Order: sequence, then C-alpha cells, then structure tokens
Amino acid sequence: MLLTLILLPIATAFLILYSSTRIQYLLSAAVLGVGSFLSVSLFMSTERVSFHLPFLLNAMIIAADLVLLIYFLVQGKKFNSPKVIVLAAAQLLLYIYAEYAAPSGRSAEIVVDELSRFMFLIINIVGGIIVLYSVRYMEDESVEPYKKRHFIAAMLLFLSVMNAIVCANSLLLFFFLFEMTTLASYQLIAFRNDEISRANALRALWMNQIGGVVILAGTLVAALVLDTVMLDTLLQHSGGMLLFSVALLSMAALVKGASIPFDGWLLGAMVAPTPVSAMLHSATMVKIAPYLILKLAPVLGTTLLGGVLSITGALVFVAAAYLALSRSIFKEILGYSTVALLGLMMALAAIGTKESMMLSMVLMLFHALSKALLFLAAGVLEKQYHLKSIEEMSALVHRAPKTVGFIVLGFVSLTLPPFGLFMGKLFAITSVASLLRERPLLLIVLVSMIIGSTLLVLLYFKVSSALLSNPSDTVRTEKERIPQGFSIPLVLLSLLILFAAAGFIVIQHDVLLALFTLPLLFVFALPSMIRSMEHYDRTAIYHCGEKESFDAALVYYEPSVRIKGMIYWGFGILFVAVAFVGVLS
Amino acid sequence: MIWVWIALAPILGGLVYGGERVLRARMQRRLGPPFLQPFYDMFKLLDKRTLIVHAPHALLAVAHFFALWFTVAAIFLGWNLLYIVFLHLIAQMLLILAGYSVRSAYSHLGANRELLMLVAYEPILILVAVGLYLVSGSFEITGMIQKGNYLAQLPLLFAALLMIVPIKVKKSPFDVGEAHQEIVGGVEIEYSGVFYEFLYMSRFLEYLFIYSFVFIFGGESVWLGAVLVAGVFLLVNLVDNATARVRTPQMIKIIYMAAMPLAVLNLVWILR
Repeated sequence: MLLTLILLPIATAFLILYSSTRIQYLLSAAVLGVGSFLSVSLFMSTERVSFHLPFLLNAMIIAADLVLLIYFLVQGKKFNSPKVIVLAAAQLLLYIYAEYAAPSGRSAEIVVDELSRFMFLIINIVGGIIVLYSVRYMEDESVEPYKKRHFIAAMLLFLSVMNAIVCANSLLLFFFLFEMTTLASYQLIAFRNDEISRANALRALWMNQIGGVVILAGTLVAALVLDTVMLDTLLQHSGGMLLFSVALLSMAALVKGASIPFDGWLLGAMVAPTPVSAMLHSATMVKIAPYLILKLAPVLGTTLLGGVLSITGALVFVAAAYLALSRSIFKEILGYSTVALLGLMMALAAIGTKESMMLSMVLMLFHALSKALLFLAAGVLEKQYHLKSIEEMSALVHRAPKTVGFIVLGFVSLTLPPFGLFMGKLFAITSVASLLRERPLLLIVLVSMIIGSTLLVLLYFKVSSALLSNPSDTVRTEKERIPQGFSIPLVLLSLLILFAAAGFIVIQHDVLLALFTLPLLFVFALPSMIRSMEHYDRTAIYHCGEKESFDAALVYYEPSVRIKGMIYWGFGILFVAVAFVGVLS
Repeated sequence: MIWVWIALAPILGGLVYGGERVLRARMQRRLGPPFLQPFYDMFKLLDKRTLIVHAPHALLAVAHFFALWFTVAAIFLGWNLLYIVFLHLIAQMLLILAGYSVRSAYSHLGANRELLMLVAYEPILILVAVGLYLVSGSFEITGMIQKGNYLAQLPLLFAALLMIVPIKVKKSPFDVGEAHQEIVGGVEIEYSGVFYEFLYMSRFLEYLFIYSFVFIFGGESVWLGAVLVAGVFLLVNLVDNATARVRTPQMIKIIYMAAMPLAVLNLVWILR
C-alpha cells in the first residue's frame, strides 16, 4: 500500500503529460480516490512497517542528490545569485562528507509509524483535492498547453515526494527529499517566469537551502559523534551531542515553516499560481516543519531546548499574526496566517507531552483543510473576477455570494467554535495551563497563544468586513456560477471541514462541547427564517444626511520600521540561540 | 429554581441597567429616568413600525441576543469558565458580522470598534479564567466558588479585570463602542423596532456576563462576591462620570501595556 502511495502519483504524472483535459480530470480524480482510500485504510491499521531500501536504489538516490545540488549551483550561477551558489556549494561538500562518514545502515531507511500514517491522510486527501482543482485552474492560465501539463505532473510528483518524506527514517534520505521539496518550491514559484517570480523563487531557494545546510550539519554530528544516521536510533541515544544534532534539525523545521525571520520566502511564494500556494505553501509542504518537531519531540520533552523552541514558535504565532494586519493582498494575508499557525503547531509539538503533541497534529489537519479551502477560493476570485487585493473586494458578496460564503466559512473554521482549529486552541490552553505549575516558562507560550488567537480573529474579520456589506435586499443579488472544476473541490473541502469538526467533538465525549455547535443550527435555519421575514418593510441605510453613499475604509495596523527591525533581529537571535542551547545542553 | 433565574436573566439585567441610569443621574445631581425605564422603552419599541435593511442582518441581532442569553445561562449553571468566554466570543462575532453585513459606514465603524474592543478584553478574560483555575484547580465555576481567598492571591488579576469592565459595559474612559458623536449608533444604527429591542436587551445580558466574573472573585462567600459587585458597580460609574473617552488605539494600548502585564505578573507570582 505504501509503495502505491508513492508510485501512483509518479505514474499518473507521466500519463498526464500525454493526455487531454478530460483525461486529466479523470486521472486526478482517480489519484484523489485511490490516495484517500489507501491513506484511510493505512490509518486504520496499527502495525509499524519498516524496510530497507535495496542497494541499487540507495546508489541512485545518492546520484540524484548530487545532480540536484549541482543543478542548484548552476541555477545560482545562471541567475547570478551568490547566496544560492555559496549555500549549494556548502551543501555539496557537507553532503559528500556526510555520505562518506555515515556508518553503514543497521536499521531500516523507511519507517511508517503513527505520525507518518497521519501525515498520509493530510497529504493524500487535501493534496489530491488540490491537484483536481489545479486541472481546472490551468485551463484559464495563459501559457502553452505543454506547460500546463507539466504543471499538473509536477504537482503529482510533489505528492509522492511528500508521501516519501514522512516515512523517511534515514537522515540522508530525509535530506534528499527535503531538497526535492525545495526544488518543487523553486520551480513552481518561478512558473510564470517573470521578473518578480524569478526573484522570489531564488529567495525561496536560498532560504530553504539554509535548512538543507543545518540538516546536513545535524546529520554529520549524529554520524560522527553518535555513530548513526537513522532517526529512530538517534532518538534512543541520550546525552552527549544528541541535543546539538536535534537542535540543528529543528532549525531546519523553523526554516521550512517560514518562521520569522524566514517569512520572506513564503510571502514571496504567493506570486506562484494559487494551487501551488495551496499545496506547497500552506496545506502540505510547510507541514514538514511541525512534522519534524513532532518526530524530535520525544527527546525535547522538558529540556531547555524544547522550552526555547516552544517559546520561539509561540512568539512567531503572535508576531506573524500582527504583521499580517498590515497586508492588503489576500494571499499574503493567508500566507502570514499560515506562518503564525505553523509557529503555534511547532510550539505545541515542542512542549512534548502526549496531549500537546496530539493537539499539534489536530491543528495540522484542520489547518490544512481550512487553508486549502481559503486558497482555492482565492484562486476562484483571481480567475473569475481578477481580484487579488482586498481593497478591490468591497461588497463582493453582492457579486460573488458563493465564493464569499466559502471564504467566510474558511475564516470561521479557523477561529470560532465548533470547528476543529478552535477546539485545538481551546484544549491547548487547558493543556498548557495544567502544565504551568511544573513548567512556569510555558506561561510565555500560554499568553502568546491567547493574544495570537485574538489577533487572528481581528485579522480574518477585518478582511471579511470588506467582503460582506450587502445593500438592502430589495436590490437583487446577482446569481453566481462557479465552474464545476472549481466548485467540486471547494464543496469537498467544506464537507470535510464540517465532518471532521463533528467527528472531533464526538470523540471528546463532552456534552458541553456539543453545545458549541448550536450556532450552526442557526446557519441551517437561516433560509427558512429569511422567508418568514418578508412581511417586514425594507428601508435604505442611514447616511447621516450625506447625499453620496460611502464605504468605511479597511483598517490596517502597520508596525513602525524600528519595531519591525526589532522583531526580525529578535527572531534572528532566537534562531541562533536554538543552536547554542543545543551545544550547551 | 436556577432555571427560573435563567429565564428571568434579561429582566434581571434590565433592572441592573435601570438602576445604573438612576445611580449615574444622582451622581450628576440629576433626577434621572424612572427605575423601570428600560421596560417602558421595550413597550415603546415593540409598538413601533419595524424597518429592516435585509433579513440576515436583522436575524443576526436576534441570534446575538440568544447566544448571549445562552452564555449567561451557562454561567448560572456553573459551567467551564473557559467555554463561557468562548460562547461569549460567538455572540460577539454574530454582532460584528451583523455590523459588517450592511453597506453603512456607521455600522462598519461600529463593528470595527466592537472588534477592537474584543481584541482588548478577550485575552484578559482568558487570563482571568486561567488564573482562577491555577488557584482553584478547576475550570468549572461550580468548582471555583467552593474555594475562597482569590482576592489575596489574585489582586493584580482582579485589577486587570476591573480595567476591562468599562469596555464591556461601555463606560468612560473606554466607551468607544458607544461614542454617539463619532459613530452615531455604531452597530445598532440600522435596527429599529423589535430588532432593536433585541440589541437593547443584549446589553442587559452583557452586564450580567461581566459582573459574574467579578462575583466569582468572591469565592465561597456569596457576601464577599456581592460586596465586590456592588463596589465595582459604584466605582465604574464614578469613573464614568469623572473621565473623558480615550481613542480606540489608546484604549488598546492601555489594556496591553497596563492590564496585561498586571495579569501576567500575578500569574508569575502565584507560579513561583
């Protein structure tokens, strides 16, 4: 089953290169169906699967890795970016040394545990839906047909890379796949091939390569001092340089999760076509960050390193939510809120108790669903209405009631009860509060969590203030038609959000929690209630004597340059501090 | 018995509101409206012709009222304080969405302000819940009021709560939500008749909501709780008569620079 998950997208990708649009729909729907089925049935089974890779495959991976790093070098030279060249060269040297120093493997390179199975769910269901969506999205893109097919194929290949990375046990294999995701990011951001895309792609490349460098450094420490490059054996060690190696690996998570000061690459990545933003930059690829911390969490536990990581994550949550308040491009707002929530997930993972790790996973799942929905809706706005900035979206509900409905559902599911993300945050507050007596440092995490959540409420509903605002319902709202290629993925995601939230509440066995679902009843009763309102007289709104009607402008909260500088420097110092704490402890 | 109280909650809140108007008037050496004015207002509003802008807008006000009533009921039943804070959040979001759902500049300004008020007081409310939990070992109100001595252990947190009470009951210096001169009617502007009455009654429930937090600080002693509520009630009205309104950003700054550190400091102190 595992092999199918990895090979099926690859095979389909090749088929898609030679097929018409109709077949593309069929193929991507098939991948979604089969992938979801397999990942759900894998999730149900509980056995731990592990196996060695054949020697030949290992050799091929080494060769592919070398080619990849040389490709980065060439790209750096071609586009004249010294940072890319230096980092690629550094990785090349480190990689060769690491392969040379790595002890011959005693344990399996591939291990499928509970966490991997959980990640399969997110990757294959949410990722599959996004691939299906991208077929329709590409129809409207103004590029040559072969490039469209390449795009969909690349998305599929990326799915299989993601499926592989979450069960990689060898750090060197993990590094290779990590670099593959970096490559995917780089290629897909540069897809439109204009100046901005190219510049942002290069920035994403060099920033992610920092992640590659620290992974290799961590691997080298593990190989030279602890004599292993396998994650499971590494985590069974204790003392010595273990925490240094773990610290270096978790720095890679901070880079991949675009934590401040690395938020620049994720924001820049928003110039890519929307399915890319949905898949790589919110639903799946950046989830490597909390995934990696979750993997390392057993040794983080009560160590100082775990403390520093969870505080960093929590502070990123607040700072990114705050920075998002100054943005006006819809996708950038979503991007910043992804950075924020990734910070929260990493913070919870790094706390390392069983409950907090579970909550981190819950947040991951619900975040993937909600953010995918929001990005796909953003794609509809972009393609059908040519809207990108929230400034232009005033009173959009009048023109596009359905799309706005999806967006508001997305916002509500990110912040309010009874949806999963809210529940996750609620339990996180309870869980952290119960740990406070033993670990007072977590107070920082708790306070950041509380403030950050409120800031996110402000952010999302500030944005929805622009979308909503309907004139009196004597004016007819236009009928909106979303093409089926767009509406099916959107509806699928919305249903998943609702059912997952309901399921999550049911498994809590808490009657009181079910009461949070009451507002939903209101939403469902709304249509019939609206009909009963017909006998009330309608009126125009009150303008206070003004003749022209006017819109209240959107509000922004921009930090001053000095404060912004302080934020970036502060997080830069925290990032380096992670390594120092690793060395010292 | 408790269900009777829950059913009477809006009336109870109305009495508090009526009493407050009399008290404030007496502080200013005015006679003030009759004690039962809120109920006279109710009959007047029900008698008026109701005009609405669009149906969802009107219905959201009703939903806001019932969500708040539900929140207050949860308090009376002694449920989890953290859940109660978030039930209240739902109620507020319904109101804010109502404000945004019409193309009226004043309604939008009012909703913006409601949102910013939420940003100011929400973290403090959660911190109060966490603080009470740390001392009493329970998030349930029923558990909290079986222990005592919160004031001795959580004096600064109580001070932080005191600072946000005026925001919730819309009293100076933090009455930005009700600044007639700036935002006319704010969120309420497009409502009339029976739907306005729902918003009007929600305000009564807000009183019960926020003063219950004050009451919980009395702990096991009902009398201490009652004295605290009466004291805070007097103090808030005194301050209301004595201060001018601050601007919204200033309000947020004051809460985040003064109330928040106080609350956090108190938590640090009890955790040491």
